[in-house]
Amino acid sequence: MALCRKILSLGSPMRQLVLSSERCLSVSTTHHIDNLNKKQVEPKGVEALNPVEKNLTITVEGLADITKLTGVPEEHIKPRRVLIKKPTKNAMQSGTNNLHKWVMTFDTKERWENPLMGWASTADPLSNLEVEFASKEDAIVFCEKNGWQWAVQEPPQKPPRAKSYADNFSWNKRTRRSTK
Amino acid sequence: MLQAGSAVRGLCKAIRPSAPIVKAADKAMAAHALPATLVLSRSQSNKPVVADNRVEVFVDDIPVMVEPGTTVLQAAAMAGVEIPRFCYHERLSVAGNCRMCLVEVEKAAKPVAACAMPVMKGWRIKTNSEMTRKAREGVMEFLLINHPLDCPICDQGGECDLQDQSMAFGSDRTRFLDPKRAVEDKNLGPLVKTIMTRCIHCTRCVRFASEVAGVEDLGTTGRGNSMEIGTYVEKMLLSELSGNVIDLCPVGALTSKPYSFSARPWELRRTDSIDVFDALGSNITVNHRTGEVLRILPKTNEDINEEWLADKARFACDGLKRQRLVAPMVKDSKGDLRPCEWEDALIVAATALQEANGSVAAVAGGQADAEALTALRDLVYRLGGQHVCTEEVFPDNGSGTDLRSNYLLNSSIAGMEEADLVVFIGTNPRYVVLVLPCMSPTPGAWCWCCLVCHQPQHLGDSSATVEQLCAGTHAFSSKLAAAKRPMIIVGQALLGQSQGGVLYAKICQLANKLRGSVEPSWRVLNVLHRVASQVAALDLGYKAGVAAVRQQKPKVLFLLGADEGAITRSDLPADTTVIYQGSHGDAGAAMADIVLPGATYTEKTATYVNTEGRAQTTLAAITPPGYAREDWKIIRAISEVLLCVFNVVAHEEPMNVMLQSVGAARVDGSAVLRPALLQLEDYYMTDVVSRASPTMAKCIAAVKKEKSNRYHSK
Amino acid sequence: MAFFGLDRVSRFFNLIKENGGFRQSLYKLYRQNDLKSGTLVGTDKLGNKYYENNEYFLGRNRWVIYSPSLGTDFDGSAVSPAWFGWLHYKTDIPPTQKEHVQYSYIDTTPSPNPTGTNKAYIPYTTGKPKIQAWVPPTRS
Repeated sequence: MALCRKILSLGSPMRQLVLSSERCLSVSTTHHIDNLNKKQVEPKGVEALNPVEKNLTITVEGLADITKLTGVPEEHIKPRRVLIKKPTKNAMQSGTNNLHKWVMTFDTKERWENPLMGWASTADPLSNLEVEFASKEDAIVFCEKNGWQWAVQEPPQKPPRAKSYADNFSWNKRTRRSTK
Repeated sequence: MLQAGSAVRGLCKAIRPSAPIVKAADKAMAAHALPATLVLSRSQSNKPVVADNRVEVFVDDIPVMVEPGTTVLQAAAMAGVEIPRFCYHERLSVAGNCRMCLVEVEKAAKPVAACAMPVMKGWRIKTNSEMTRKAREGVMEFLLINHPLDCPICDQGGECDLQDQSMAFGSDRTRFLDPKRAVEDKNLGPLVKTIMTRCIHCTRCVRFASEVAGVEDLGTTGRGNSMEIGTYVEKMLLSELSGNVIDLCPVGALTSKPYSFSARPWELRRTDSIDVFDALGSNITVNHRTGEVLRILPKTNEDINEEWLADKARFACDGLKRQRLVAPMVKDSKGDLRPCEWEDALIVAATALQEANGSVAAVAGGQADAEALTALRDLVYRLGGQHVCTEEVFPDNGSGTDLRSNYLLNSSIAGMEEADLVVFIGTNPRYVVLVLPCMSPTPGAWCWCCLVCHQPQHLGDSSATVEQLCAGTHAFSSKLAAAKRPMIIVGQALLGQSQGGVLYAKICQLANKLRGSVEPSWRVLNVLHRVASQVAALDLGYKAGVAAVRQQKPKVLFLLGADEGAITRSDLPADTTVIYQGSHGDAGAAMADIVLPGATYTEKTATYVNTEGRAQTTLAAITPPGYAREDWKIIRAISEVLLCVFNVVAHEEPMNVMLQSVGAARVDGSAVLRPALLQLEDYYMTDVVSRASPTMAKCIAAVKKEKSNRYHSK
Repeated sequence: MAFFGLDRVSRFFNLIKENGGFRQSLYKLYRQNDLKSGTLVGTDKLGNKYYENNEYFLGRNRWVIYSPSLGTDFDGSAVSPAWFGWLHYKTDIPPTQKEHVQYSYIDTTPSPNPTGTNKAYIPYTTGKPKIQAWVPPTRS
């Protein structure tokens, strides 16, 4: 017991040793995957191809499912719901520059108050993830690929509004009523 | 509207034809949604544009075809160019007084105000030229002459148009060395805080008050440097929509009093949700931080609330933090409610339900969501109970609530804009449900039975008037018959009274008669509900009104957020066990034997159906406090204890319905049709959340006090 | 000797000797993670011994050997308030030379660190609760 405590209290040198040994392990695995990737990306005889043929793209039939590869825990795949939407204008401001992209946001998981400092805490790593897309189809494909349930919220359709300064002086419009 | 994404590949296919896939090069073009009647054309596009009366203008050399009369600002928006503005607002009249939207038009001598100037054929508008930039810089310099440099302590900081635009278009220094003007703050009441020195005189608030809210309280006095926005005399802004001027104000002159100095906009997390304080289903954005709802802002939905929000929906959110049920409670031997563990409460509740032997009934309140309603209905029916009811009353004679069109606002909220004649019977739409788009009521004349548009007219306040209208003997009947698109909107003051069924039947007949003369797709009969849960409950087969429960005298009564006192202890036998499930401690929890803490609408993902039958989903923004849980989960847990697990389904598919004909009936005597909410002070507290809200209490006190103000207009 | 580094060998044996032989030295190494030689400056009430050896650089030249009564379960809170100042270089005068000033509000007997015990400090929020709970009305 005391020994354990002392090792913990040892500070940097020993802990670094422990950590670095772990890192060695992880480095070796990464290396392994790197080799695999290399094999896939550069098949043998690629030098023989002419420059046009070198730019080959591999097309995968059907929707890809990368949930097995990402290492994302199960709890953040199946039960998560994604809302795909175009942001609506902030009611407090008139700017519209940020409203043209589609964004995906996740459902809110439990958040609590940290008892020490009173800060807000969450165990949800996806709570701050907001990915932007040019179209909702892209967003849907991305969600499909990652195995999230999604829902699309269409942006409000703006009806055309005729605006005229002259309305201020017409007798039957609801403008400048106090002066009529 | 949400599209659920389970059978995705099929849906992807379904989506694609209607929404063309955007290529990267055309992204900028596709980024701006275009109104249906306005078509954007580009020189490189292959399709020839059909030549009609539209005119072609060029915004920064991008050609745009627009309707004649379109303003420069709108044309630029269609081309995807945003022109800075302060006074211009889409939903208000054009004022043209801030001059921020000055742009250069080729061959024009001076820069033109884009918001007020209609385009002419072939105009070349330059929004980024030397002249335009210089004009903007000059305007900004003038605006900032008298604007205090108090952004660090200003509540608008971080979401301020003036702040952003001065960074983008302003100069880096001022040439003005004289002292700044200062203006005395006005007292507009407990909701809107004023720091009038910051005002830049855009007059958006003045236009909103007069054009949308229908109160002519705000205005300008003085001119030039001594111009001030105010109420002329010391008085409160008496409107149930006053909160919207906070949103409209482009600077920090009008800010929210309850929210003042509590957070910065970049600290907030935002969750889109639905408002449940009335049956309109306004779209809102819940702004929260550290597990606490700090403010609620409207979210644009053109079909419902446009971008406005009523004060109760906006400011009653502090009621979500008070009087909460945070732990399950069970009555002890002394008859006092004692907090306990979930396990104990569920077992006690399940035992009581089982021992009732089928003598079980449920009453749902005004803020219950469709999921909980479904779960509760299934539980009661499974146990052999007969009656699931709502607190809100609706007549059940004739086809009653069997047909969906009997209890909906059939013409839809957006459709009200097309109506040429609206008759409100037994309701005061101003306080019951915020119905805004087309109508700006004049406060005094806005009564229970009236014609809106420009000259609201009071027809009467007794059932005799309704009978005369139905019989066609009223002086107003000829107008009603002549209307092309008339709407009859029936409210709770008529539906809820003893004669309601008969009167409603008569109105149905009248509506049927009128349908003969109007276009076939137009719906005359509309019902305006008071509470958010009513339509969903009726859709799910709930019985309106608690009369059946009173008669049955059940052994176990399950109250799902029922707090309006429709049923009290005195209506029930002494041995009845009352289970209350809800978010707040109020009348319902006080009479209960078992209390199960539920979640409020900001804490659960739930479905609500609004008065026009539109199902919308709230998204959970924060976590329910303490041991409180989402409502349907609690009911499911009880059923699991009872070993009768059932599926929880969301709201049912809307039924395909048609208007039924009703038989002739006679009204006995004369009934008074007087809506419950006639005065502004009645409006603020109508449900558990707003009753717990200190801000709403302050509003009522302020409105009552305002009555003794000698400037108060009756 | 110093040139060949052989003085270190003699210094090693001196160190062992000063620390009471091989067995004692191993025990001290186990207990303190360090083996040092120095002059005993003083002992406090608890039996902690305070040493100084200015051959070590500043920061390592004053140290405490905790009382054997504490076993291996010791920490910094066992240092008596009188010696704290000397040990942390607040003063160069140890309490053996000059009487430590006593203040009524300072506890003369140090209390051990309560971490890991029932008396450990657990932080709690001192702010107003954000949610105000409903209190049911009572009959009595």
